[in-house]
Formats: sequence, structure tokens, C-alpha cells
Amino acid sequence: MSRKGSLRTYVLTRLVLAIPTVLILLTMVFLLMRVAPGNPIQVALGGHLSQQEIDRRSAEAGYDKPILTQYVEYLGDVFTGNLGTTLTDHRTVTSIIVENGSATLELTIAAMLVALVVGLTIGILAGRFRDTPIDLGGRLFGIVVYAAPVFFVGYLLQLLFGSTLGWLPTSGRVGPVTEYELDTTTHLYLIDSLISGNFNAFEDTVLHLILPAVTLGLLVSGVLIRLVRVNLMQTMRGDYVEAARARGVRERRVVLEHAFRNALIPVVTVAGLQFAILLGGAILTEQTFNWPGLGSELVRYLNERDYIAVQGIITVFALAVVLVSLMIDLINAFIDPRVRY
Amino acid sequence: MSHVRRLGIAAVLVAAIAAIAAGCGSSGGGGGTIIRGTTDQPVSYDPAGAYDLPSYDVIYNVYQNLMTIPPGENKPVPEAAEKCDFTNPTTYECTLKDGLKFSDGDSLDAKDVKFSFDRNVEIADPNGASSLLANMKSVDAPDDKTVVFHLKKPDATWPFVLTVASFAIVDDSDFPKDKLQPSDEVIGSGRYTVASYKPGQQTVLEKNESYTGDDPAENDQAIVQYYDKPSALKLDVENGEVDIAYRSLSPTDIDSLRDADGVSIVEGNGTEIRYLVFNLKLQEGGSDAQKQAVRQAVAQTVDRAAIAKNVYDDTVQPLYSMVPQGLQFATKAFAEKYGESPDVNAAKKTLSDAGVDTPVPLEIWWTPSHYGPSSGDEYAEIKNQLDDSGLFTVSLKSTEWTQYSEAAFTNKYPEYELGWFPDYPDANDYTAPFYAKDSFLNISYDNPEMNKLLEQEAATTDEAKRAELFKKIQDIGAEDVPTVPIWQGKQVAAVRDGVSGVEDTFDPSFIFRYWLITKD
Repeated sequence: MSRKGSLRTYVLTRLVLAIPTVLILLTMVFLLMRVAPGNPIQVALGGHLSQQEIDRRSAEAGYDKPILTQYVEYLGDVFTGNLGTTLTDHRTVTSIIVENGSATLELTIAAMLVALVVGLTIGILAGRFRDTPIDLGGRLFGIVVYAAPVFFVGYLLQLLFGSTLGWLPTSGRVGPVTEYELDTTTHLYLIDSLISGNFNAFEDTVLHLILPAVTLGLLVSGVLIRLVRVNLMQTMRGDYVEAARARGVRERRVVLEHAFRNALIPVVTVAGLQFAILLGGAILTEQTFNWPGLGSELVRYLNERDYIAVQGIITVFALAVVLVSLMIDLINAFIDPRVRY
Repeated sequence: MSHVRRLGIAAVLVAAIAAIAAGCGSSGGGGGTIIRGTTDQPVSYDPAGAYDLPSYDVIYNVYQNLMTIPPGENKPVPEAAEKCDFTNPTTYECTLKDGLKFSDGDSLDAKDVKFSFDRNVEIADPNGASSLLANMKSVDAPDDKTVVFHLKKPDATWPFVLTVASFAIVDDSDFPKDKLQPSDEVIGSGRYTVASYKPGQQTVLEKNESYTGDDPAENDQAIVQYYDKPSALKLDVENGEVDIAYRSLSPTDIDSLRDADGVSIVEGNGTEIRYLVFNLKLQEGGSDAQKQAVRQAVAQTVDRAAIAKNVYDDTVQPLYSMVPQGLQFATKAFAEKYGESPDVNAAKKTLSDAGVDTPVPLEIWWTPSHYGPSSGDEYAEIKNQLDDSGLFTVSLKSTEWTQYSEAAFTNKYPEYELGWFPDYPDANDYTAPFYAKDSFLNISYDNPEMNKLLEQEAATTDEAKRAELFKKIQDIGAEDVPTVPIWQGKQVAAVRDGVSGVEDTFDPSFIFRYWLITKD
């Protein structure tokens, strides 16, 4: 089969396989939310109204419809792009995705930048200076940041840079007044503040972003450090690296331009997957820093048994993860024909 | 691009970020802006869709009711009304003040009031309080200034019902009659307007310059900032990011903040209560008399002062009646009958007189996910107290709130914890829901004398008569003990220096009056 035909087949197959993947996930979420006891009215008004009154209100709200009816209605809504309105606070799920999803996206991008800078730098140094104190220190750092609970690291940074030194704010995307005054077009505050020329808001956004991005970024960097180190050591043993050295290429260029570039392929894959996972909302980080992202909203709606909100958010998560991993696989398939079917 | 240039750009970026970080402090509000942080999240700012304290916090500031509870008091007085009174036992008539206006300039008249109540009943939102209007047969607006409520039966609490935020007055030309108005599009006649609402993040209230009532706002703007975790709120009030942290900081956080620079702890009387419930059908005891003896013995053994001190660091106070102190007609019935301190010997005698073998096994349920982080400690303390008396052996069980809130009222738990926030600050709201035959507790408690007293107190507006009736009700409650009151919460806030007025709004009504708060 030709290269083009093989790639096309691969793409089509992956696209087709994505559909049942998403469908299975949506069905699981639907069933789990229905199986879990309670509904939003029970959560909100239990202990204040009689169970009879709660049951009456629940029936009026349609919570006792047959499961199959609810499932068909749910799938119908999803496939027509109607993710619904939350039961507890009457928000459209679309608005949650846009507003809170933007918060998560901004944090994720910032955290990935931190992860890449820290992870790649330390990984390269550890791989280049293998079995030296630099390597040991780098590996130890990678293990510690990966193993330390993210909320614990977050609290420590809040206490140090927020409470003790007073350098950085400890919660939210921006201060309360900036939150109100900022014109939000994209809901990405860094961009919105630049668009509106509000440099105070830009500064406020950067300051608020530092601690949560560093907390989350360090966690992800722990994964990247080891991956970069191992892959770099492997590529450094390659013949082409020896050939470059024999041609008199400087060691820095050998490492960065020859060995590292080839070591990047699996790193890109993992980094991309990490990005997709973080788009699902780094719940612990968001809650620690009161970051109004999708993760913290998901937890809140789960506690309130707002299954419309939960279903809608998980649907978008699932689509985001499937799409990103699909893109990574397609890129890899394009680069490396051995990956295709 | 060369390595040197790349490195140079990176270095500049890092240096810029470091310079910004080193140079800046917090970004709290200033001037006429009050910023309050809270972990409470509202449901709806349309009164017809609200039956929760966080929504009420804003509704009381954005709308007017016919009646209200003034700061520091516990009885309703006219707000949008000039005067209100019963014209006969089942007819309540209000005359509106002149010149009332909504914030968009529309006049507020009796038709708006009628519309507000009618739509509340028609919408009957699942999260709303329309069930409190069950006794309302109809409401009329015979002219622009007169509103007449026709009740199904006499109800002395009706003036209190009119103070509830769910029955605030809305504009019939702006609000739909059959569905809720989005929270960011509400319009009221109160001291503030909702300038912005970002769910999960903040609500911004701006002073309503068209407000025609008493006590206009003493600040220009109030921002309510929402937090997921009390710990994040605590840090922000310490750092000055918010001016007031109110609801809900843990006792540990409050204790820590007492020593924080620039922060004071402000306390006031609260009317949130916690109590232990007995399901009379399921509880231990071979006969009704033995069951009552078990309940009385528990009431005699529980050390409320120890719970208040050891578990809650005195942010709550012992409660000796289901009606909390600070409300009219509250007594200390349990203290009068059993004493304020635990009396194990008396409890032992109570049990032996009834022929109850000891230790009595008790299965007490509690929930970790609704009543705050100290619930577990509270019930561990209760268990220790009861076990240490030698009269009881307690097994503690817990489950998550959603399951708990259904199981507790469907005959699954013999003894369990509950809490209560008032719908309105009247003793009726702390007695009828628990002691009536058709109580929401569904615990098979039915005392004909109690039922008659509850009917009588609801039917009379004579305060002396109500006082007498409520005393009897509370005494019977202490005798029968279907519930054991444990504590009554204080309203506690952490407030930055220079902010005043918070203490003025802490009273039994639970109305958080942003308009009273000022900042230097």
C-alpha cells in the first residue's frame, strides 16, 4: 500500500474509533450519575423539607423519568450540541465550558510552559552529565516534585510567597476588583488585558498565575525530566552523534541539535497527553488556589448531584482528550510510518 | 535564531517576572468598595428560585420586601409597606409607601407585589420556597397601594413570612411570570443593583442611586468573592485580598486569625442550631416509657459546654431549647429541667426508674459532608461523653449527605444529627417543624397536647398569649425529648482593620446587610 493510502486509512480508522470511545465514556458517566443516590433537590433541601415534599418536587422536575428515556434525551441533546442548563444554578453548560474552561486552559498553558522549561532543562543536564552530581540532583528533583502531593506543594508555596513574604497572591485568577473591571472577550485574562490595554490587569493576572502554574508545572516536569534524560542518553549513544563529534561539532550543538531533537519525539507525545489530561482540570491545584477552572466546577457539581452539569463537562473533557490524543497519534503517524496500520 | 538570542530573551522574561513579583502587593478593593469572601455559593437571585442563605445574602440587598427585620432586632417592621396588619384572622392587608421605584426607574406598586407572590406559586421552582406560601389562598391588589393576603387559616407568623427573601418584590414588567429571571438580569428596588454575576467567582453589587427607602448604602460597591476552600479564604483575608471573611471558616482558622496582624474576629448572635434526633419507632427501649427515659437520660448526660469549647473553640454556645436564645419567646427548658451541666447520677436514676438495662446501645449517625469539618469531632465528643457515663455504648456511623438526607427521614436511622437554619426568626419556625405531628422529621412523634399548643400559637398574635404557649411547648419538648438541642452557632467573621459595621448586621434574622458596612 502507498504511503498516502496507509496514512489515510490510519486517519480514518482513528476517527471512526473515536466515536465509540466517546460514546462509551458518556454512557458510563450517565449511568454512574444516575446510580449515585440523590438529586440536586435532595442535596439542597434535604433536612429542611419533608421527604414527601422533596419527592414531589423531584418528580415535578422529571428526575423520576425512566432511565432509558433520560438516556435517549441525553444523547439526543449531546448530538445536537445542546449540553443543557445546570439544575442547581441555572447556567448553560456551554457558558461553563467557555468561562471556566478558559481558566483551565490558561492555567494549563502556563503550567506546561513551566513544565517544559524545568523538565527539558533538567532532563538535558541530567542526560548530558550522566552519573555525575548534576544527574543525581536532577533525578532526585524529578522524583520529589512528582511524588509530593500537589496540594501540599501548593500550600507550601502559598505560605512562603503569600503569607510569609507577601510577594504573591494566593488565590483566584485576578484580584476581586480586577475581576470586575476586566473586559473579557476571550476569557483568557492575559490576552483580554492586553486587548483592552489594561496593563494593571495584565500584571495582576501574571502575579496570580505564578503560584498555581509553578505548582502544577513542577508536578508535570517530574514526568518530563526522567523521560528526557532516558531518551537523551539513548540518542547520545547513536552513530550519528559519534559522527557529529568526529566532524568536530561542538559538544553543546551535538547534544542540543543532534541528540536532543531525536529524543524529543516521545517527549512530545507524553507532553501532549499531559496537556490533554490537564485540560480536564487539575482539580487539586484549582481547589488549592481557588482557581475557577473546570476541575473545581466539576467537583462542586458532583457534590450537588447536578448531573446535567457533570455530564456536560465530562462530555467536553472526553472530546478534548480524544481529539488531542488523536492529533498526537496523527502527527506521529505522519512522522513515523511504522506507527500506521 | 541563535542560542545566544534565545537565551537572552528567556533571561529578560524571567527577570521581568521576578521584578514584577518583587514589587507588588495584593490587589484588594479600596475607597467605597467592600470585598467579602465566602465559601457559600448562591443558587439564584430571582426570589422565586431561592431558598438558600447565599442567595438570600444578595437578595436582601437588591430588593425590598413588604416587611423586614431591622438590624439588631427580631420582629418584623414594614419596609416597602407603610403599614401592615390583620383586618381579620385570615386577612392581612398592607399599604405601600409612596414613591417606591425599581432601580431601572419603574414604579413599584401593589400589582408588582401581587405579581411577585403569584409567580412564586406558579413557578414553584424546585429550589424555591413556595411551600412557605401553602397557607396563602390568594393575594389581591385592589388599588395601586393596597395588597391584601387571604389566608386559609389564621397564621400569626405571616408577617415573618413576608420578611423572607424568597418573597421580595419584583417588577411585573421585567420578570417573566412562568420562569426564573437569570441572576445577572435581576432588577429590584433595594439598596444595590447586581452589576455583575460570575457564577463560582463573584457577585458585584453597586449602590442603587434610585433607592427611596431608609438607610441607603454607606458604601458604593460590595463585591462578594466565592471560594472553594476555607483555607484559601483565610489566606486572602490575612493578605488583605478581601475585607471580610464570613461563612464559613473552620474553628481552627478562626483561632489562627485571632492572632493575625490587621485582622479582628467579630462575633454576633446567631440562630443556626444543631441537634440530635431520635426516631421514636427505631430507637432503643422496650416501651414508650422506656424510650422516653433513654432520651431523657441522653439529654441529662450530654455536656454541651464541653462540645462548645473542645470542638468549636467557643464559636458556638450551648443550646437548652430548640428555640435559640435571641429569639422572642425562647426559654432554657432543658436547663430548667435537667440542669446546665451533665448529671450522670440523675440519668442513671431516670433509666433505672424506667427499668432500662444499662449500658443502652445507641446507634448514632452523622454526616461528614454537610455540617462542616467539625461534625466528626462533635460526634466523637458526644460518643465519649455517653460512653464514659457507663450508661450507654455508642456506635457512630456516617454517610455522605445525599444518602444521609434521604435515609434520615425515611426510617433508617434511630438517632442522628441535624442542623437548622431559620426561614424566619420566630419561635414557630423552631418548634412546629420538629414537634408537629406532620413534622418533616418523620420520627413518629405525636403528642396531642403539643399539636394543640402549636395550632394555638400560630393562630394568635397576642404576644403574652404566645409567650405562655411557647413556654409550654418548650417544656413539653424537654419532657418528651424527641430531639436534644446541642448548640447554637454564633455568627463569626474575620474583618480587616478599618472595616466597621459587620457587628451591626449580626442578629437573629441572618440578613447580611452590606449597606451598614464602611471602610476607612
